[in-house]
Amino acid sequence: MKNTKIIVLVVISLFTLLLVSCAPGSAQSAGGWSGVTVHNNIIYVGSRDGRVVAINASTENLEWSYSLASATALTGGLSCSPTAVSAAIYTTPMADGDLIYIGTYDGRVFALNTSARGKNLNFPRKAYGEWVVFVGTGAGNDAIVADMAMKGDFIFVSCSDGRVYSLEKTFGDLIWRSEVLDEKHKKLWTSPVIHGDTLYVSTFDAHIYALSAETGEPEWSFKSEAGFASSPVIYGDTIFVGSFDRHLYAVKIGSDVLEWRFPEKPAGNWFWASPVVDEGIVYTGCLDGKLYAIEADTGKEIWSYQTEDQNGRPSPIVSSPVLMDNLLIVVNESGTVYVFDLAGELANEGVPWWTASIGASVRSPFCAQEGLVYIRGEDNQLYIVDIDNRQMSQPIPLTAES
Amino acid sequence: MSFVEVWHLIIGNPILNVLIVLSHVLFGQFGLAIIALTIIVRLVSWPLTRRQLKSSKAMQDMQPKLQELQKKYGKNKPKLQQEMMKLYKEAGVNPLGCLWPMLIQFPIWIALYQAIMSALATTPENLLNLAHRLYPWDIVNQAIPLSSHFLGLDLGQTALQAGALGLLLAIIVGGTMWIQQKMTTAPSVDPRQESTQRMTTLMMPLMFGFFTLMFPSGLALYWAVSNIIGIITQYFVTGGWGYLKFRSPFSQH
Repeated sequence: MKNTKIIVLVVISLFTLLLVSCAPGSAQSAGGWSGVTVHNNIIYVGSRDGRVVAINASTENLEWSYSLASATALTGGLSCSPTAVSAAIYTTPMADGDLIYIGTYDGRVFALNTSARGKNLNFPRKAYGEWVVFVGTGAGNDAIVADMAMKGDFIFVSCSDGRVYSLEKTFGDLIWRSEVLDEKHKKLWTSPVIHGDTLYVSTFDAHIYALSAETGEPEWSFKSEAGFASSPVIYGDTIFVGSFDRHLYAVKIGSDVLEWRFPEKPAGNWFWASPVVDEGIVYTGCLDGKLYAIEADTGKEIWSYQTEDQNGRPSPIVSSPVLMDNLLIVVNESGTVYVFDLAGELANEGVPWWTASIGASVRSPFCAQEGLVYIRGEDNQLYIVDIDNRQMSQPIPLTAES
Repeated sequence: MSFVEVWHLIIGNPILNVLIVLSHVLFGQFGLAIIALTIIVRLVSWPLTRRQLKSSKAMQDMQPKLQELQKKYGKNKPKLQQEMMKLYKEAGVNPLGCLWPMLIQFPIWIALYQAIMSALATTPENLLNLAHRLYPWDIVNQAIPLSSHFLGLDLGQTALQAGALGLLLAIIVGGTMWIQQKMTTAPSVDPRQESTQRMTTLMMPLMFGFFTLMFPSGLALYWAVSNIIGIITQYFVTGGWGYLKFRSPFSQH
């Protein structure tokens, strides 16, 4: 019976250990995948440790960094419980003059002044136009995951409480908040897109909503069969949006009828990244690793290209493709950069003009400007790829010590 | 193929996808899907459970004889152990028989736990990771993402965050686990062993009550349902409340 006692204790310990460690495979905590913005020769990006980092684009030296860390963690719990890094950043910094606007996973919107942060003054420096506000209901699900939008004097924020918020740019005052757009999930992880005087938002609850930018009142909605995974993109009078049902949808603004759905049979995985549209062609990446070029009017495939990792296996496209002049830039999750020349001889064949690997996983939105592509890797480093000269600079660490 | 990939392929992904399908079928209610899947897992593991319960029942039936041996050889420990083992052998009972089925079921419980955690996709990373574990079935992809709200609880939040409802859930988990343990744990004839058992019977419910507060409520719901099913099964298979008996403070023992 002594053995019984030992076995009981071993069983308890084992069960406890397995539950706490959650091996193999477990929930992943919120680390953030902030995108990159370049404004007035300064690169702005959110780091994985919850800081906004400003780097001089010419010298690649650190201008300043500011921690958005919050004193309170979002979710408690043991090791594999979804604990959040305080102030994890998923949004891309939005620049306007000397101010940088950014949202955090704990539901705060910051306006940071580049001069004040460069001087390391106490935050918020109101004389410099700085402020911080909470959005959401304070019920613990106020995370800001999607990029914010800006028009005129207003900022528009999608919040995990299922609402869109309109904030006044100068002081961060709340102008309006929409009704709950996703009652089922109470999550809004897609970005609002401004078109004219209207905001368009896609939801996990399979809706596209048009809201008045002035009042937040719903003006139109479209209902689909499956939830929308990507933020919408508008070209002409058509909305393009990726879905969890492995299709890309095209919907005419104001219509309640689906224009087309691509592909006919579901693709290999979700259309997570927002597409880009150029010259009547929709370019969209899929989590099956394929890049598709589709006729915007008809939804007919022009070409597709399978992106791969370093071992030749398909690698998901998580980040939205980016257009720079006549170049289409795609970065897959394994960190391979594909450049397609849309004006070149191979434009209609879907053959990349150049490829390179940054050697790090990529899930963040990246930006491209003046021949350079700025990518934040999941290894918390910033990579700059020089397309014109076909070369890469040394990665810039975004860690607090750097 | 790594161990994690094999694990997901054989156990993790089937359970995850079934959970999502159930959620879609059961009116998009993830809470109902957890309850349904817990019942299914309980049914699948019924042969093991039955063996465990039978072993437990046999132990229960042997108690009078064990008490006799305790009286007879109480002071001679080696002899007592020897006689007890002899008795087990004669009755064809393995005193550890109720533990092995439990051990074998652990991978299933762990996979179920992981499926709940993955399906809830509480963070953007989790949602993105989920994409690579789903079957290419329309019903699965149309159900994603799942709603985590059920009976006023956000199943993705910890019970601690859920306030009073979460606390109630923790009490239910701890309470049902205590009842189930009391029903199945045969009182030992050895006082030292009795003390260890009493400690274990108390510690496990307390530990799981604590886990309930710290882990997402979806998991706590699973524990609660699993315990309740366990109690019901135990009641009907062994024909009563087993060792869960009211002990009068005025009784001799």
